[in-house]
Amino acid sequence: MNLDTTIKLGGLELRTPLLTGSGTFGYGDEFKTVMDYSALGGIVTKSISPQPRPGNPPPRICETGGGGIINSIGLANPGVDGFLADKVGCLPIGQTRVFLSVVGDSVEDFVTVVDKLESVAGVDGYEINVSCPNVRHGGLSLGGDKDAVKAIVSAVRSTTHRFVSVKLTPHHPAVEPMAEAAVKAGADALTLTNTLIGMAIDVEKRKPLLGTVTGGYSGPPLKPVALAMVWRAAQAVDVPIWASGGIVNGLDGIEFLLAGATCLQLGSVLFADPYAPGRVLREMEEYCLRHRVTKLTDLIGKLEPRR
Amino acid sequence: MTSPAAEMGIVKAVRQISDGCWDVSVQAPFNALHSRAGQFVHVRVGEGFNPFLRRPLSVGPCREGRLRLIFTVRGRGTRLLTGSSPGDKLDIIGPLGNPYQMPDEDEVAVMVAGGIGIVPLLLLDDQMSPKQERMFIAGFRSGSLLTVDGNEATARRIRVATDDGSMGFHGTAVALLQNCLAEYQGKRPFIYACGPGPMMAAMKKFCSERGIRAQVSLEVPMGCGLGACQSCAVPRADGKGYLLVCHDGPVFDINDVDLTPENRP
Repeated sequence: MNLDTTIKLGGLELRTPLLTGSGTFGYGDEFKTVMDYSALGGIVTKSISPQPRPGNPPPRICETGGGGIINSIGLANPGVDGFLADKVGCLPIGQTRVFLSVVGDSVEDFVTVVDKLESVAGVDGYEINVSCPNVRHGGLSLGGDKDAVKAIVSAVRSTTHRFVSVKLTPHHPAVEPMAEAAVKAGADALTLTNTLIGMAIDVEKRKPLLGTVTGGYSGPPLKPVALAMVWRAAQAVDVPIWASGGIVNGLDGIEFLLAGATCLQLGSVLFADPYAPGRVLREMEEYCLRHRVTKLTDLIGKLEPRR
Repeated sequence: MTSPAAEMGIVKAVRQISDGCWDVSVQAPFNALHSRAGQFVHVRVGEGFNPFLRRPLSVGPCREGRLRLIFTVRGRGTRLLTGSSPGDKLDIIGPLGNPYQMPDEDEVAVMVAGGIGIVPLLLLDDQMSPKQERMFIAGFRSGSLLTVDGNEATARRIRVATDDGSMGFHGTAVALLQNCLAEYQGKRPFIYACGPGPMMAAMKKFCSERGIRAQVSLEVPMGCGLGACQSCAVPRADGKGYLLVCHDGPVFDINDVDLTPENRP
């Protein structure tokens, strides 16, 4: 039995639902010597800001006892002009779908970056990051404000005809109004979710493990949080949802599809297992074979009622 | 330089060298052949995803297709690695990062190790031209923590300093270096250093006061190991942002990185 793994995002066809999570995959060529891209439906780049950002003081990453990690990169990136000058050649255009992540502190920032990125041929769309926990301004503070999200998405929508997904925070108490606001303003998809704010302490030294004390918590422990957000958003809006949060194997991916996700982002898992895309796809195929599913999209939102 | 690749190594031997220090020998022909001194491999430890991250480990002396991973136990990940048995598979990505530069013909290669920092320098010692004039200094907290485990000929040549005077010179590796450099007056030294943070800061001061060319290799918490995630940042010496240990290092010109202890990750 051949499984049909293709999915549609508006007018775009992706050969699989697997995407990389922003910030974990650079600009698309860093993993090329160890990863087979054929299992990926697309990549999402590291976030691009209007000005270069050096990133946060180190240490920038630590593990937590429960199998999660906390990062505090601080959106280090060369800025949109630096990206255009040095990084466009890294994008795997033609090999897989390419979505550029965009971040800023204001509506104008997002518009400036997207406007400049429109000149890059072959790009399939954008992920608008209004939810990074690792920067003082913008990011999470914007993502918690419904009116700010609406204003950013509307402004981006009038700047591009390309596909736009909006990455929301897990910190807002109600995902539904944020999701509805983003969609009403023109989002083609939603990415759920960004990292949760977390912290870890070296008790021997009595010091925080991260240079910024707190950072973004990710990895397998985030999955239940992300799953709940995906499911709730899927009830509230009618656009594809890109799930992001603790997916490490095929059954995690199936869970998110059943909860209503269309795409599955592999993020932190790539640090542990850069071969994850091929493995996760194989594991999903095994599930489908067992359940006589011939088309992966047939699983989307097919959660059965508990009774 | 060879591009990194995924390699499934086979553990051949696991042995404790001293308290907290272990030597895992792994059949990994690709990495054993292509690793150059200073480079590292990114190793997956344990089953599943807890611990989550790979461990970056310096490549030690390689022979007959075998990689030597010599490390101190820092936490759960490295402890799990000590529990490997011969025949176990080990998921390795490497060789990663930039190696030490080889010295010019008229330079004396001076290797200065602190503790477990000796590991990449043992490989450097192996890979330099046999004709290369060289000196090898290694500092340890005490003789009982001696982790020298190259071949016998190398071990005999290493000048040892111990903090407690239990073996060799009584004092730091940097103090021993100062004494030994007098032997090479009139020749240009090229220092290769690897060791704990305070020692690296002292090395930087020593080299900059004397105008000595030096490279240092650094170890910090790391994510992808491939330059994508930017977790392994170290501050640049000029204050203009950060360099990445996995991509720009782990070997740096000692003048390029800020090694003051309060700024080290």
